[in-house]
Amino acid sequence: MRATTTRKFHKDRGLVARMYFTLFMLGVLYAIFTLFLIAAGTPLVLVAPIVGVMVVVQYYMSDRLILMSTGAKEVSAEQAPKLHLMVKTLADRYEMPMPKVAIIDTAVPNAFATGRNPKNALVAVTVGIQQRLNERELQAVIGHELAHVANRDMRILAIANFLVTLTSFLMTMLFWNMLFGGMGGRRNNGGGMMMVYLVTILVYFVGQLLVLALTRYREFGADHTGAEISGDPGALADALEKISGTVAGIPDQDLRKLQTANAFLIIPAALKGQGSMNLFSTHPPLQERVRRLRELEQRMQYGVR
Amino acid sequence: MGWFSRTRTPKDDWSAMSSVTRVEAKLQELGEITPARRAGLIYTDSAEITFLSNIETELKTVLHEGEGATKTAFSIKDDDRGMRWIILEDGNFNDLVSSVYTVGNAIDSNQGGDNLLAAVFEMYFTGEVDDRTFRSGLRTYWIYRYDRKAFYPFVPTGDKEGDRDRPTEARLGYDLRKHGLIVERSLTEWMGLWGIPF
Repeated sequence: MRATTTRKFHKDRGLVARMYFTLFMLGVLYAIFTLFLIAAGTPLVLVAPIVGVMVVVQYYMSDRLILMSTGAKEVSAEQAPKLHLMVKTLADRYEMPMPKVAIIDTAVPNAFATGRNPKNALVAVTVGIQQRLNERELQAVIGHELAHVANRDMRILAIANFLVTLTSFLMTMLFWNMLFGGMGGRRNNGGGMMMVYLVTILVYFVGQLLVLALTRYREFGADHTGAEISGDPGALADALEKISGTVAGIPDQDLRKLQTANAFLIIPAALKGQGSMNLFSTHPPLQERVRRLRELEQRMQYGVR
Repeated sequence: MGWFSRTRTPKDDWSAMSSVTRVEAKLQELGEITPARRAGLIYTDSAEITFLSNIETELKTVLHEGEGATKTAFSIKDDDRGMRWIILEDGNFNDLVSSVYTVGNAIDSNQGGDNLLAAVFEMYFTGEVDDRTFRSGLRTYWIYRYDRKAFYPFVPTGDKEGDRDRPTEARLGYDLRKHGLIVERSLTEWMGLWGIPF
């Protein structure tokens, strides 16, 4: 019987492969870009360390920064015994140390996790999410957030953040440089400068797309890991539908259109320079996540893989 | 734990249809709904399926002849989106539901299963449900999708695609599930049917 089989920790191999490929492409893109900048003789590579420092600071202080910027207050086990117990139980299942727990005093339902590694993790939930979800759903949400920590998503996010911030920095600098630096620098490399600018813009957009794909995979990955840990993918799907105002999930589509092909939506969304994984990143779309979770739920129920 | 903690209702047309009868009885007893005594089945017509091309005669046989026939009245209508509707009317709600089931089943067992899209029940809210959010006399539809084997409420606010009262639908769905209706869990599958011809 299925009840006696041991539950294994399955990774979504396709997802992992796609993720590493995207990461690889991102690396290739920026390696070529760096070579290009050096070949073009731009001293702009010097910007890299500055941005690097910024990102490193953010990376190492993310938990404190998040606490400051969101007004989240760390709570002790005495202050929030139920929440602590829930986080503890889940952390045990992930075999990670007990993260810090914080509460944000707002009715807006949300949750997030941050921390560069499981030892420095912080999980924060809002008052609103605790009120709206039942225990099973809240557990799924916290499980999803802890999955981000367990999967070391903050590190990948930091790298992505670094690259994108760097390029946008360069873009702005080049822009002003061309506007006001024109008089002195015009002598011989005006055209070269333009070229560098255009390439930077191109790299920025391609990089942005890759990073979006990456966060998308991290999000699906965390959904998947969270579901494997809890064994109940439907719980997160329910939670997502419930908090997103539910309303958002109900489609505009007419049922009769179902027989024609489904359109694939590409939603462009800018990567926000945050140091945390938010429960509702705009990408991937909620519907897609819910659909995958439901699929996983079915597979788990009927033992098909 | 986890994998086994949630009880599953087997998903098939019959259990779904019987859940309608039960929920309707319960809610009517509470004074909350009045069924409109009307229901419809929507499908894509096909000349290659004999049952569908002879639909009128076939329906007469299925609904009006033989022992225990429900004698439910029916009519056929085409909508402006190229789909065909079988509209059923019966003063007895249980008969209405069983007729919907019978017709769906007959189409399915005569090679028409893939053509069947949905069954729709019209329901009026006459009372207040739970938090008094439902207007009295509000017209709602309970849509049953044959591919998903589950129901969901549909409250259109106009004939234009996308015009629907989502908050009411969400709350209604929650309520109906609580009362035992097999409700589609994934809200993203709650697609509307605008311009229902009955």
